[in-house]
Amino acid sequence: MDALGDRTRRAIFEQLRSGPRAVGEIADELPVSRPAVSQHLRVLKEAGLVTERRNGTRRLYRLDPDGLGELRDYFDDFWNEALAAFKAAAEDERRKG
Amino acid sequence: MSTQATETEAIKRSIMVDCPIEHAFATFTERIHDWWPLGKHSIDAYESGSPAETVVFQGGGGGQIYERTKNGEELKWADVIAYEPPHRFVLAWNPSRKQDRPQTVIEVTFTEEGGKTRVDLEHRGWERLGERAAEARQGYSEGWEHVLASYAETATS
Repeated sequence: MDALGDRTRRAIFEQLRSGPRAVGEIADELPVSRPAVSQHLRVLKEAGLVTERRNGTRRLYRLDPDGLGELRDYFDDFWNEALAAFKAAAEDERRKG
Repeated sequence: MSTQATETEAIKRSIMVDCPIEHAFATFTERIHDWWPLGKHSIDAYESGSPAETVVFQGGGGGQIYERTKNGEELKWADVIAYEPPHRFVLAWNPSRKQDRPQTVIEVTFTEEGGKTRVDLEHRGWERLGERAAEARQGYSEGWEHVLASYAETATS
């Protein structure tokens, strides 16, 4: 029982490494029920490894950036988007001073 | 490939912007509210799911970057540790309510190139988080024993 729990949690972990997910999405890829996934997520949250946030009506789970040094990966993606937005604003003729 | 090196390696990005250097610098700093994706990256967005009201870049000595939330709170993102318009600025970065966390470093330089401006961004200092992550991991591994014991109890009862 413990071993299975452990293995399932590790699988959940690996899924969250690629980005935030909802419970249903996690459960779809695992041979366990949605309530079981929720239970595992609760354990992961209590351990400070996973955080939860609401996105509209969905509840998304992600690895806790404070806990796991995931922050660098996040910014690696984020700067592409931010700099593209910066370029568009800087080149916007109407706003050029 | 060493995972350790990747985790702490500086993130570098360069972008050419078709405008004068002064304008590029001003857009990045005093006009940051015009382009920063607050819906994707702000403390308010993280907590509430919708963008912060605005973000303010105060240049000069002792300057800061902070967001203003929809509730009117001002939450610090960074200290401005160098401010040399229109060529360069450096930030000590930690957009978080937890101001005791280590700051990473963001350096942005602006270079004139044939009437356009090259903007180079370097985000470094990840090893500072790594040190804390190691400590945190130690804490978590102790936490896990407690959690697993409690889990086993629940699972077998």
